[in-house]
Amino acid sequence: MSIIVNTQKEIKNLKSFSTAAERFEGSHLLCPGCAHSIIVREVLNATNDNLVVSASTGCLEVCTAIYPHTSWDCSWIHIGFENSSTAMAGVETMNKALRNKGRISADTPQPKFVTFGGDGSTYDIGFQWISGCFERGHDFMYVCLDNEVYANTGGQRSSSTPIGSSTTTAPAGSHSYGEKRQKKDIVSIMAAHGAPYVAQVAPNKWKDMVTKIQKGFSTYGPVFINAMSACTTEWKFAPNQTIEVSDLAVDSLVFPLYEIIGGRELNITYRPKNVVPVRDYLGAQPRFKHLFKPEYEYLIDEWQKRIDERWVFLQKREEIRM
Amino acid sequence: MNKRVMELKEVEVWDGNMANSQAFRQADVDVVAAYPITPSTATVENYAMFHANGYIDGEVMMTESEHAAMSACVGAGAAGGRVATATSSQGLALMIEVLYQASGMRIPVVLCLVNRALAAPLNVNGDHSDLYLTRDSGWISIDAFNPQQAYDMTLMSFKISEHPDVRLPVISNQDGFMTSHTAQNVIPLEDKVACDFVGPYLQVNALLNFDKPVTHGVQTEQDWHFEHKAKQHAALMASKKVILETFAQFKELTGREYKLVESYNLENADIAIVCLGTTFETAMLAIDQLKEEGINAAVVAPRVFRPFPLEEVAEALQNVKAIACMDRSAPGGTVGTLYNEVSGALFNTPARPLMSNLIYGLGGRDMTVAGLKDIFRNLDKEAKAGKLSGKIQRFIGVRGPELSFYDAQGDVK
Amino acid sequence: MNKPISEMGWDELAPGAVLYTFDGDINYNIADIQPEDRMYSETSSKGMSVGDWRVIKPVWNSETCIDCQNCWIFCPDTSIIARNKEMKGVDYEHCKGCGLCVSVCPTNPKSLLMFNEYETVENALANWPEKKKKGE
Repeated sequence: MSIIVNTQKEIKNLKSFSTAAERFEGSHLLCPGCAHSIIVREVLNATNDNLVVSASTGCLEVCTAIYPHTSWDCSWIHIGFENSSTAMAGVETMNKALRNKGRISADTPQPKFVTFGGDGSTYDIGFQWISGCFERGHDFMYVCLDNEVYANTGGQRSSSTPIGSSTTTAPAGSHSYGEKRQKKDIVSIMAAHGAPYVAQVAPNKWKDMVTKIQKGFSTYGPVFINAMSACTTEWKFAPNQTIEVSDLAVDSLVFPLYEIIGGRELNITYRPKNVVPVRDYLGAQPRFKHLFKPEYEYLIDEWQKRIDERWVFLQKREEIRM
Repeated sequence: MNKRVMELKEVEVWDGNMANSQAFRQADVDVVAAYPITPSTATVENYAMFHANGYIDGEVMMTESEHAAMSACVGAGAAGGRVATATSSQGLALMIEVLYQASGMRIPVVLCLVNRALAAPLNVNGDHSDLYLTRDSGWISIDAFNPQQAYDMTLMSFKISEHPDVRLPVISNQDGFMTSHTAQNVIPLEDKVACDFVGPYLQVNALLNFDKPVTHGVQTEQDWHFEHKAKQHAALMASKKVILETFAQFKELTGREYKLVESYNLENADIAIVCLGTTFETAMLAIDQLKEEGINAAVVAPRVFRPFPLEEVAEALQNVKAIACMDRSAPGGTVGTLYNEVSGALFNTPARPLMSNLIYGLGGRDMTVAGLKDIFRNLDKEAKAGKLSGKIQRFIGVRGPELSFYDAQGDVK
Repeated sequence: MNKPISEMGWDELAPGAVLYTFDGDINYNIADIQPEDRMYSETSSKGMSVGDWRVIKPVWNSETCIDCQNCWIFCPDTSIIARNKEMKGVDYEHCKGCGLCVSVCPTNPKSLLMFNEYETVENALANWPEKKKKGE
């Protein structure tokens, strides 16, 4: 089993983690209760290294860098919707060039390069760009803020939107149960690039997430993190329920927490003590409320079956170490 | 620097692409991020070959699309170093949104645009459709008419782009195939002289400067956007000063003189064409031959397409009686770009020449010396008659019945 | 920067619409210095307030608090201030009143509760609920 040696600061427990000096400031314009912000704080606080951060057009970018205010206590760049990954690849390559030429001294510690993109950017419009970056093997971390919709523009479907979810472009109605397609398995796709480290995380399980972020920072090469971002506005739950809904997501195994090292070795990193029925997860979010009508309830059963099968699959992959 | 030195001859034989590649090599570019597309491919291939043989100590990034290539250039440029790339046609069209982003973010980048027709239908040959597509993108845009100029312009582009009073990306244009794939004599500078001329890269708001964290690429809404676009336009307009200074410094170094507006035989001429690219040199031959027929013709070209030298173009054409603006791009439902911009330049002056718009050479259709002589003869007739010989816009050299549009009003004197 | 940015014309704004987080150059590792010791410029959002988004606000009871830091980590607005592993209080300039801190507080009674925005902290603390019995 491959071991990644942590090169980052030791974080023994939440109390010691809380001594981190924040680099993501308040008075951004994200919704009250937004998980994006919790994720960003956990990622940035996981390291004390110099940071260069990029972001795709989306909630995070629009709410944290709207002139004349920036919420970032570090260098940050946004170019467009598709290309936050490639922007960072450019930065990382320039860093290499300047070091090679001696214009940045070898004594200067290497910074960490972190890119944030929503699921719209990651799964859809920016997919080719990320694939290119991973194929070229740039040394950076890509964090997908996965709220399963194009949230910033009002909740349109993306290829991350799970089946049965109601979105504005695939709404539930008298003749439709909403999204007809399965959610794309982005983690497997990124692992198939042979990336040294990919992982699925959720901000409510902070220890699991921060451990993986630090592993990502300790890994040379492209790292992909799919972070579940429960969206109070688009999943339509109350702002103070973000952690509760996130707990349901991981405890029902709808959002399983695992990592894949070197594109092959899969480790499940969170096994709920009590697995919660998928029904409870779906029932907590009005974006699924139409599934509880008699004519659509069969979809809930299909959901449960699918989640159960995938859990078996993940465990089998974990066993065979391939 | 641990890269090999290339010994160049006093006179090299290079095509336009090699001219680009050598300029990149001598300019000590830090990151070239690129994607191959005909006819610009060789610019990148030559550069990759130099890199593989130790002549380059910067990085080469072969991206998965042109949009990614320009995105990487913007990211790398914002990080704080010298970047360059090359493309044409469809690739330029694919990266067009990033061009606007690069100029809005004021990131110096040099783009060698080897001008090629835009599909559909698909065509790999030279015309100016891609050049015209960049018109409003906020980039400085300079045109080379031959491989020597391609080398000279590309080298100067770095210096102009990175100047502290400019900080805008620059396009170095040349005709696809006609320049890019035609080998001609090129007198290069020595490596050290070229490198010193371009100078070291000046970092401004570099992402890799951790002493001053900076946020690049913000959103501005109705309360801020206008000010930033105004500032950007002002910078582009002001770059004219730096372009002229750079041309002057280059002339001192090489003896080769470049102007915002190039012309040939203008002092004696009553008629002129306005054009871009290799047509300029073909016109020079036609003009010389026509002297025997007693026709005094001129050719005028805005070498600097952006910022458009409106006053200089107007000044140059004050005494010309008939002008044909030749646009090598499908006009898309109106008169061509050069016609528009030249007419606009002349309107607020006393001059009232006859103005016509010729659409020619699309998709690499050859513009011959003979063809240009016919155009000049027709202009001569128009000048003597005091009116256009037909409609305002005419397609030249296309098989089939006459294709022309727009009537002039009244008798134009 | 002497003039506030809102009074600047197009000619005075930084090119490329770039924003600086700090005034002048910094010569320390930001991650080693707490925000209160950093020299923020007027273009950092930190100096702005979103407190007016609230209609209800969290009030912190330091007597019942066990410094577990759940509220610190799950606050989306960096509005729970923790120093030296201790909860220090709520940053009312940046708090949007989402209530996540209350939902994740593990003590009984909770050490963070939502009150009407106009309620004073003294009144809120005086009216703190008793410990809930099992099954309540």
